[in-house]
Amino acid sequence: MNDHDRTSPESPDAEHDPGAQEAPSSSEAQGMNIAARTQWQLVRGRFFRHKAALLGMFLLLGVVLLAFTSVGIGPLPGWWDKSPMATGPLHEGGRPTLSLVPEFLGGAGLALGEHPFGQDNVGKDYFALTMRGAQVSLIIAFLVGIVATIVATVIGACAGYFRGWTETVLMRITDVLIAIPLLAIAAAAAKIAGQAGIFYLGIVLGLVTWTQTARLVRSAVLSLREKEFVEAARSVGTSSVRIIFKHILPNTVGVIIVSVTLAIAAAVLLESALSFLNMGVQPPDTSLGRLITDYRSAMGTRPWLFYWPGLFIILIALSVNFIGDGLRDAFDPRQNRVRD
Amino acid sequence: MTQSPQTPPPFESALLESVGANASVTATAESVHTAKTLADSKGPTENEVLRVENLSVEFPTDDGVVKAVRDVSYSLREREVLSIVGESGSGKSVSSMALMGLLPRSARVSGRVLYRGKDLLTMREKERRSLRGRRISMVFQDPMTALNPVHTIGDQLAEAVLAHSLVPPKQALERAREMLDLVGIPQAAQRLRSYPHEFSGGMRQRVMIAMAIINNPDVIIADEPTTALDVTVQAQILEKLLEVKDAVNAAILLITHDLGVVAGLAHRVLVMYAGTPVEVGETDDVFYRTRMPYTAGLLGSIPSMTGAHGERLRPIQGTPPSLINLPSGCPFAPRCPLADATCRASEPPLALTNGERVSNQDLPQDAGRYREHLSACHHWERLAAVEDPTTFFRNGGQNP
Amino acid sequence: MLVFIARRLVVSLFVLFASTFVMFVLAANVGDPLADLRELPENDREAAMAERIERMNLDLPVIARYFLWLRGALTGDLGVNRQGQDVNILLTDAISATMQLVVAATVLAIVIGIAIGIISALRQYSGFDHVVTFGAFVAFSLPIFWVGVLLKQFGAIEFNNWLARPTIPTLVIVLVSVLVGLAWSSLMVGDRRTRLLAFFGAGGVTAVILLWISATTWFADPGLGPVVIALSALGGAVGISVLVCGPKPSRPMYAALTAAVVGTVLSFVLTPVLADPNLLIILGLAVTTVIVCVGIGYGFGGVLHRRNAIATAVWTGLFTGGVIFVDRMLQSFASYSRSVQGRPISTVGAATPNYQGTFWETSLDSVGHLALPTLALILVSLATYTRYSRASMLEVMNQDYVRTARAKGLPERTVITRHAFRNGLIPITTLVAYDFGTVIGGAVVTETVFGWRAMGHLLLTGLNEADPAPIMAFFVVSGGAIVVFNMVADIAYAYLDPRIRLS
Repeated sequence: MNDHDRTSPESPDAEHDPGAQEAPSSSEAQGMNIAARTQWQLVRGRFFRHKAALLGMFLLLGVVLLAFTSVGIGPLPGWWDKSPMATGPLHEGGRPTLSLVPEFLGGAGLALGEHPFGQDNVGKDYFALTMRGAQVSLIIAFLVGIVATIVATVIGACAGYFRGWTETVLMRITDVLIAIPLLAIAAAAAKIAGQAGIFYLGIVLGLVTWTQTARLVRSAVLSLREKEFVEAARSVGTSSVRIIFKHILPNTVGVIIVSVTLAIAAAVLLESALSFLNMGVQPPDTSLGRLITDYRSAMGTRPWLFYWPGLFIILIALSVNFIGDGLRDAFDPRQNRVRD
Repeated sequence: MTQSPQTPPPFESALLESVGANASVTATAESVHTAKTLADSKGPTENEVLRVENLSVEFPTDDGVVKAVRDVSYSLREREVLSIVGESGSGKSVSSMALMGLLPRSARVSGRVLYRGKDLLTMREKERRSLRGRRISMVFQDPMTALNPVHTIGDQLAEAVLAHSLVPPKQALERAREMLDLVGIPQAAQRLRSYPHEFSGGMRQRVMIAMAIINNPDVIIADEPTTALDVTVQAQILEKLLEVKDAVNAAILLITHDLGVVAGLAHRVLVMYAGTPVEVGETDDVFYRTRMPYTAGLLGSIPSMTGAHGERLRPIQGTPPSLINLPSGCPFAPRCPLADATCRASEPPLALTNGERVSNQDLPQDAGRYREHLSACHHWERLAAVEDPTTFFRNGGQNP
Repeated sequence: MLVFIARRLVVSLFVLFASTFVMFVLAANVGDPLADLRELPENDREAAMAERIERMNLDLPVIARYFLWLRGALTGDLGVNRQGQDVNILLTDAISATMQLVVAATVLAIVIGIAIGIISALRQYSGFDHVVTFGAFVAFSLPIFWVGVLLKQFGAIEFNNWLARPTIPTLVIVLVSVLVGLAWSSLMVGDRRTRLLAFFGAGGVTAVILLWISATTWFADPGLGPVVIALSALGGAVGISVLVCGPKPSRPMYAALTAAVVGTVLSFVLTPVLADPNLLIILGLAVTTVIVCVGIGYGFGGVLHRRNAIATAVWTGLFTGGVIFVDRMLQSFASYSRSVQGRPISTVGAATPNYQGTFWETSLDSVGHLALPTLALILVSLATYTRYSRASMLEVMNQDYVRTARAKGLPERTVITRHAFRNGLIPITTLVAYDFGTVIGGAVVTETVFGWRAMGHLLLTGLNEADPAPIMAFFVVSGGAIVVFNMVADIAYAYLDPRIRLS
């Protein structure tokens, strides 16, 4: 059974290249695969032992579910009966009706009430608005994370694997982008793309935030390309593309996944900062950062208009950061020993 | 094969083999000719300098408590070389770190470690620190990482002097230079200003040895001092270690997994398995009159020059047990050809297999000393009946 | 080494050039620079538009405009903005405002962050460590503009209201004392008794101080007074010499104590000078302090301890000077507070317009304006430094050479300062140098929240008006800083690590 496990993952290769079976390093490559698979179990085990990461995952899932089911996505209606756009009469002066203090402590018990997060000055339901904003912020953050990671992985992997002038050119491009303050380039890019809608905004922000990840991927690839199992693959004539995608990238997956999560956390904050500066999401769209800008003068009179979006930004960024930390520990046991 | 210590014993060739396996034959032969051997060095006195009693070390981890060291007792006399032998994970390094107080804070250490009658484990940290590096010093396994990369060699050596005595820095540097001379580093005065990365591995280990003896210690703990070095350098370093031991009259606690190293260097041997001693005795007792199947297995897995042509090495089958959930009974039982129900039921205590005064002809300088040989095996008598214990595993534990 | 720096410099310049091009192209495309003119009445429109097209060279392609800009920039002329103002002048004002803001904040964040990170690493898994780790995560996740608005509400508006009747509610005293006690007890190593003692000791002292502050309405007219000055100078002396050479009385400690006494005595002798000094006098006093303290250290040190004695004396002297400085400022607080209608903590801008006062009062005015934005900046960047120095320190503490240092019998303090810290500092310094380059570009949001007309203002107005000149001015400074400090980081690394220095 052990032997079966050993050969099955690499069997297509072995069939194509009879020599591979005999090459001394080939067993190394297979060993790597076994290690990789048991490593997945190890990673999962370590991740689930990381309490903060688990908590972060549940929180993030909760926020995502809440944001997308409550007010619905696009044409699909949600379970919350009020629309983010509809104005209405002020209920209790627009104060939040959400109550968390149980009755025996003198509160009103656990209740949502008419407008759990309160209303703004024209009577819009603030829960619906916050949920709509959270949706947009989440979509943009994930788009940024995905786009940045794809670009970073391709550029980092090519630079690290091909070396020579490819590396020089790609890394100089990275240096050029790094020299521009992130907020300046992001603001300019967002200003150009912001009018076109949130999807363009997410993609454009992704195109300017990949630089650090690309450097990380490159250095991971640089060390991997010298490993025996890559030499072995090369010696039997495997194509570069295949080596990169089949042998090298799977081994950098830890670096990449951790970068994605941290990039998403940073993107939540970046988008909200841009929207706050009026450079990001443009009306009629709204986002958590946009809400804070729109209602920042209400801090003295209707502070809840300021608190709710801020709390949700923190909640999202914090839980994604926790997940990222858990993943880092899970993928890098050395770090794990040092940390927890 | 003969059991008489007067004729060249087979394990000296084992030493050759394991120390110089990749070197050319002539180079190895030379290193043996020039090598200082234990017989040339000053023998131990009757005075006990270090005594370890029931030392245990545990590490709490996520998966459970790791019992890294269990109930280790031994004593070390002045100028004696005692070797602790075992596989990696047998607790030999951890037990020596425990003496020095260098384990991480999470370690739970119990037992007694008496240095000239004072217990290191209960004394105040300040007092213990004043012994560390002055009376008991240490040579670590990997000289590449054991020296601080950002300070010069001279500073790092002088620091060891300044930590324990109030002398002007100049004088400490002068002492450092003397020590570098002593360990055979050419142009010592200039080298004081060098950084560790400018030295080769062997040279760095010499620096570590210089650091260990700079305060004239009584005990040098050498934790696998040659493992990380090129085979060609190993013999030189061991020779140097013996030489400086005599220069400062220190005893050496030599921790190693290499039985070849032990053979040429140690007066006595303590074999550890799964965190506990399984055989203790004079070096030739342990090598020729082996009373523990595990030791026999270790000896049998050393390549021998005198072995029959085409003879295969016999590694011990299986792996050492996890130190988290030790099986009841003898920890070696799962791998032992002699194991039976008794072995699996109860862990054998470390018991005396013989005790006799050393006769004048065995070790002249030791004549009259009491000589013990302890083994933790229920069936050590069965091994006693075997002619050559190293062949024990080769015939599957059957009596010949 | 020189070759290394030279090559690095050439590459950096090339990178900077390329990035100015990227930025210019982006800046030239952020919008329609004529948008505001298109709404003018028909007859004015043509002329106004023609004038602006002429001024901004809008008739030329972007590339040509870039090279025109570049030619000017290389000769030190950054052009004019859309309204025809000289960007060089705008930039000079903006830089000085931004520097005021970020230098203090970054230096404080670095010092505090590294200190917390190291303590937290040395007390790994303690309550303190867990709180710091969690706190760093929260700080990482804070939107700085949100924090800024909160600070304005509670740090300025509510705080100024409170200053009118500065008594502290009992509940707050209890809570703060308990927290301080918990913090100290979690830092202690030892059995339960030591921890309890630390808890009640630290908590008790805090409670007494707070009660005293509340009872005397200290905040209405604050000041330290001679006793507190003398005590903190002596305490600082002992603390510094314990850090440098251990808790035993020694020559360096005597030198430090002497420096503290001399400093305290001089603070009274110099009262006439300190009544209304200027910056030059203060700097002169600082230099004198250093010289006198070197003398004290030299005299006390003897042959064996000279270097340590000089170090402790100088640090103690500077610390004592700092305490005296703070005391003087606090003494002017009441009169300053009256002159700004009892609202000393400000939320907008860098200084009260047209404010006249003594040196201490204008200093307080700056502090009052800097306090909140600095706090916001610190809060966010503190986390980075804490996390990084903690990780770096933990990494180093597990190194073999630290074990070697312990095996030599060095005291734990020496092991940490000379071996662990010295090595842990290498990556930290690199990060700090790199980070310092990004702070100018990173303060944009904070400046906006607190209404500072600084670098961020240049960038944002430029973006909103589709006006490349101010954007590029912002970028030349902030991007230049990134490139320069990246290089500084490399050089610092090479300097600190002999393995690189010598190869």
